[in-house]
Amino acid sequence: MKSFLRWRISEQGAGGWFARLRSGRVDERVDAAWSRWMTEADTHAKAFENTELAWELSSDLEGRPKIEALLRDLDAQFPADARRAAAQLIPGRGPFAVLAQSWRLAGLAALALLCVGIVTFFMLNRTSVTDYTTEIGEQRTITLPDDSHVLLNTATHVRVTYSRSLRRIDLLSGEALFQVQKDARRPFEVHALNGVTTAVGTEFDVQVNGASAAVAVLVGTVKVEGSAGDPKGQSVQVTLGQAVDYSAAGDLSAVHAADANRIRAWQAHRVVYTDMALASALQDYNRYLRVPIVVGDPSLAARHVNGVFRIGDQTAFIHALEEGLHVKAVATGSEIVLQKQ
Amino acid sequence: MMDQLPPGTPQNERTEPDAAPVQTPDAASAAISHREYVTQLFTKYRASLQRYLTRLVRPDDAAELVQETYFRLLRHENTVRLEAMARAFLFHTATNLARDHRRRGLVRRSDQHVALDDLEIAQEHQGPEQQLVGEQILAQIERAIADLPADTRTVFLLHRFRDLSYPEIAKLMNLSTRSVARKMADALERLSSVVEATL
Repeated sequence: MKSFLRWRISEQGAGGWFARLRSGRVDERVDAAWSRWMTEADTHAKAFENTELAWELSSDLEGRPKIEALLRDLDAQFPADARRAAAQLIPGRGPFAVLAQSWRLAGLAALALLCVGIVTFFMLNRTSVTDYTTEIGEQRTITLPDDSHVLLNTATHVRVTYSRSLRRIDLLSGEALFQVQKDARRPFEVHALNGVTTAVGTEFDVQVNGASAAVAVLVGTVKVEGSAGDPKGQSVQVTLGQAVDYSAAGDLSAVHAADANRIRAWQAHRVVYTDMALASALQDYNRYLRVPIVVGDPSLAARHVNGVFRIGDQTAFIHALEEGLHVKAVATGSEIVLQKQ
Repeated sequence: MMDQLPPGTPQNERTEPDAAPVQTPDAASAAISHREYVTQLFTKYRASLQRYLTRLVRPDDAAELVQETYFRLLRHENTVRLEAMARAFLFHTATNLARDHRRRGLVRRSDQHVALDDLEIAQEHQGPEQQLVGEQILAQIERAIADLPADTRTVFLLHRFRDLSYPEIAKLMNLSTRSVARKMADALERLSSVVEATL
C-alpha cells in the first residue's frame, strides 16, 4: 500500500493519470501534480480527453455479445460472493463498493474527510451527535469510527450518536442500509418511529414510509421492538433473509421474506421491477426524483413494468416507459404526466 | 435553451427546490462559494469540454450541452474540491447529457412503435440508434478489450463492469494494489489509442 502511494508521477501518461485518479487515493498533492501535468502540454490535455472518452464509451458496451461472453467468464472465475468477500476485507469499503461511479468519485474524497472528522471526534472521547442527509436522488456512505457503515438512500435523514458506550442511529426519514461491526459491549441501535432495531454484528436495511417502518435483514440477526423501552411492547428476532414491518403504534407484522434483490439493487444505484404495477413502480422511482412522474390516465396504473433501471437516469427510464407502454410523457413543470398515445 | 451564457453570469440560473440542510464537516472550510468554484473550473475546462462533446454530437448541439453541463455542475452543491475529481464529474455529466440528447433525438423521430403491454427494456439493451457513437468505434473498443492480456483485461472488466475498487481487485486476484493500478493504466492506454485513431 505504501509503495502505491509513492507511485512515480514522472512516468505516467494519460492512461496512468486516469487510472491513478480512480484509485480512491487522491489527495491535494496528487491533484496538484495532475493539474501541472495537464497544463504542461496541449498534447497531455488531449490525450487525457481521449482516455476519458474511451472510459465513458466502454460503459456503452454492456449487453454486446463479445463483452457479455467475457463477463460470463469473469463471473465464473470470480463469482459474486467471492467479489463481495474481497470487498468486505477492505476496511472502509465493505459491500458498498458498488456505488455508481459518479457518486463514488465524489463520495470517496468526502468520505476521507468525514472519517478524519469522526475519528478526531472519537479521540476527544465525547459523545458525538451528527446529522447526515441526502437529497432526492442522492446516496451517501457514512463510515463510523468502528468501521461500521451506513449507506443512506435517497431523501434520507439520520442522526448518529456515537460514544465509547453507545452506537445509536435515528432514522428520521427515508431508508438506510447498515453494515455493523461486531462489538458485544456496544450494541448498534437503529431507532425509527417509536421502534428500535438492535444488532451486534450484521447487515440490515431500515425504511421509514409515513407511519410504518420496514426492517429487512441481509446478514446475521437483529432484534426488532415496535415500541422502544416499553417492557410490554412487542418484539421479534429477525434473521437473514427475513423482514418485519411495524407501525408507529408499535404493532409488529408477521415475519416475512426480505426483498434482498431490491436492497442490493439500490445499493448498486439501480432499481429492479419485476412484473410490478406501473403505479407501484412510479411510487418507488419517484423517491429518487424532484419532479415526480404521475399517471395521467387511470387505466395505465395497472400496466406492468419489468426492467432494471439506473437511479438518476430519469431520461432513460421515461424513454423506456414511452417505448414499452406506448405512452407519452408530458412535462408540466411540477410533474411529468404519462398519457396514452 | 439559451444560446450563450458566459460562466458567472447569473441572470438565467435555474432554481431547484431548496435541499434539506446538509451538515458536512468539510463545507465550513469552503473558502470560495460553490458558484465561484464551479465557474473557475468551468472556465478552465470549457474549451476541452467543447472539443470532447463535438466528437459525440453536432457542433451546435455540443455548444448547447456545454452550457447545460455548467448548469448541472452549479446545481450539484457538493462538488468535491479536488480539481481532478471535479473534472471527472464534469466530463461524466457531459457524456450523460450527450447520451440523453441522442435518446431525445431518437424519440422525436420515432412515431411508430409496437404497442407492448409489458416493458422489457433494461438499460443494457439499447438499439444501435441509441448509441452515443457509431457501431464501428464501439466494435473496435470491444475488440481492443478482448485483445488485452488476460490479467489486464480481468482488472479492467472488474473495475468497469463489476464496480470493484483497486484494493478489492488486488485481494481477489492476489496482486498488489499498485500492479492493479498499472494494469488499469495499460488497459486505458490501449483503449484511448483506439479512440484517438478512429474518432
